[in-house]
Amino acid sequence: MGAYGDVDKTNEEVSLDGQSKRGGPKSFVPAVKTAADQLEAWKRLDTVMVPVMILLMGGVVVFLVALTVGDWDYWQDWRDRRWWPLVTPLSFIIAPAVFTYFFWHYFRLPVAATCIAVGYGVGVWASRYFNFHVFAGFPVNFIAPSTFIGMCIVLDATLALSRSYYIAGFVGAFLFGIIIYPLNWPTMAPFHVPVEYNGFVVTVADLMGYQYIRTAIPEYVRIIEESTLRTFGEHVAPLTAVFAGFITILNYYLWVWIGSILTRSRWMTKLV
Amino acid sequence: MKKSQKVISLVMLFLSALAIEMVSMPAFAHGERAQMASLRMRTINWFDTEIFHAGTGERFHGEDIKMKIGDELLIKGKFVPSEWWPEHVNSVEDAVYLNVGVPGPRFIRIDSRINGVPMIRSTRLEFGKLYEYEVRLKARMPGRFHAHSVLSIEGAGPIIGPARWVDVTGNEEDFENSITTMTGDTLNLETYGIRIIIFWNVFWFIVALGWLGYWFRKRPTVMPRYIKTTELGDDADSQLTMTDMIVSFLFFGGVLVATATGYFVTQQLYPITTPLQTGKVEVPHKELDNSVSLEVLDARYRIPGRSFKITLNVTNNSPHPVQVGDYMSGGLRFINPVILPGLTRADSHDLLSPDGLTVETPVDWIQPGTTEKITIYADDAMWETQRLTSLIYDPDSRFAGMIFFYDPSGKHRYYQEIGGQMIPVFGEYQATPSI
Repeated sequence: MGAYGDVDKTNEEVSLDGQSKRGGPKSFVPAVKTAADQLEAWKRLDTVMVPVMILLMGGVVVFLVALTVGDWDYWQDWRDRRWWPLVTPLSFIIAPAVFTYFFWHYFRLPVAATCIAVGYGVGVWASRYFNFHVFAGFPVNFIAPSTFIGMCIVLDATLALSRSYYIAGFVGAFLFGIIIYPLNWPTMAPFHVPVEYNGFVVTVADLMGYQYIRTAIPEYVRIIEESTLRTFGEHVAPLTAVFAGFITILNYYLWVWIGSILTRSRWMTKLV
Repeated sequence: MKKSQKVISLVMLFLSALAIEMVSMPAFAHGERAQMASLRMRTINWFDTEIFHAGTGERFHGEDIKMKIGDELLIKGKFVPSEWWPEHVNSVEDAVYLNVGVPGPRFIRIDSRINGVPMIRSTRLEFGKLYEYEVRLKARMPGRFHAHSVLSIEGAGPIIGPARWVDVTGNEEDFENSITTMTGDTLNLETYGIRIIIFWNVFWFIVALGWLGYWFRKRPTVMPRYIKTTELGDDADSQLTMTDMIVSFLFFGGVLVATATGYFVTQQLYPITTPLQTGKVEVPHKELDNSVSLEVLDARYRIPGRSFKITLNVTNNSPHPVQVGDYMSGGLRFINPVILPGLTRADSHDLLSPDGLTVETPVDWIQPGTTEKITIYADDAMWETQRLTSLIYDPDSRFAGMIFFYDPSGKHRYYQEIGGQMIPVFGEYQATPSI
């Protein structure tokens, strides 16, 4: 018996029933005996761990976005020009910033944000389709999620090109905050076409929000266009985008720093 | 079998039966009984509610309303925001939305109005004023649903009105919801824009898989990079190759170009768009007819008898003799069968007590120009079953309700809201010497 409890450190060969061929006590079979075995084990680790991590990180962010962005991203008639493009990148960048530190510091892999966007995409589409469409009965077009993949690739690519958290934040996070609106505009614009309904001008999205009944979400609950950023007339979205870009930079730096604290292997170092 | 085993067996049997009962029990209504008594009695006085098939006008009295997919349902009636609104509940003077209580988009809302004003947006209301409302729904999915009128009040939540059971049959695949935009396009909102949404989502997933595929193209990736990054230490960046830089640059630029292209192409496809619309609309109110005025002298709720007794002075300034026909409070309607004989429940969940109101009055009819002191008794087990007996646990022990007077012909009706302090009685009613 070695110093690590039941684990036999001697690489002793054992029979299939776990008994030592020398008649000793039952011990573990070493999984890796050669360099080829090592390589195969690492390949299997990649095959299993990478998809699992993508889905886990995505699942975490599905909850994060549900808690912090919520209705702004659930419904077509909540994606306004002021709050949705401000709140969403500010919240969504938290997980990419934390995991960017981990993936970059330990592996030099600029993939954290994109992994999260893909995992989030899978999770959020499953949630919207099964919860909102199949269970609750809303049309898919009304509850389709936004996409953040383009923003995340820009963030990752900036880190790869600059090899600097500082520049990745200053350029990548700024673009992360800025491009959310144009990135999603192709799927939002059809729902901003005006309709005259009962003597009111509404967008298609507003009309769907009115027609497809949400008993617990009366109209006044929506936070639409409420803010003071009105200096440049009707150009609300660009102004919001620039503001969102600036505060996303700050949030990126904050969460990269928090990521650097969270990923320190303090306890493992003490144990091993 | 030991005694303790028997007890455990009985408990397990009971819990199993309870679980089976709970699992097999269908969902009833919208939890209106769970709301505080003060919320139901002293916020919105709903009355004259009618819910019927809008196409045929059929009421389906005594049974579920039968509809097919695509048929329209009309919910209409009147309400008065209570003058005795609880201080601890947010007011209707801030933001109100005429809603409807159905299980999500099983129906779509075609139209909703208060005093003729479309309620696509929120509004503000005033206490003690009369509002007439109607909500027109179109059946979208099959099933049996409890359809309520609802007034959502900011900070106070939904105040649930009367309801009817609606049975919708048909195939939901047949449902279409076509509208015409101001640009002249006719759309089916059930499927509109879905191809664009799928295209862009698939496109970005493919791009992302391309980016991740590049970085994970070598197998294994994770552990060798971890070892190399650890070994290189401060020089860890040196493991990134020129190819990595070129690929990163291509993806960086490609994403920005795709984003800009998508944006500008969309601008060409949809040159006319407007921001989301919001804001409040103003609703002109109507005044209640004050021809019959009321003064509450005493109100007591006798808990053992589920009986509400109200003594009041009635002054009839109308041109007709009148008498109390019914009293409504918290959605319950108590009928004086002497004045309104033969009323029956619209369905199994109609909160109507056809003979629940008794009137003690010195005269059969209160003549024009006279004032009479009368006492009404609203007695029914519904006080208990609808959990309105809990009004004795409200923080301010007050009540409110609507009282309706009719002339002998039944053609003229006058109504007012009454309210005031409520005294609970834990035994028998006693004489109240002060009145």
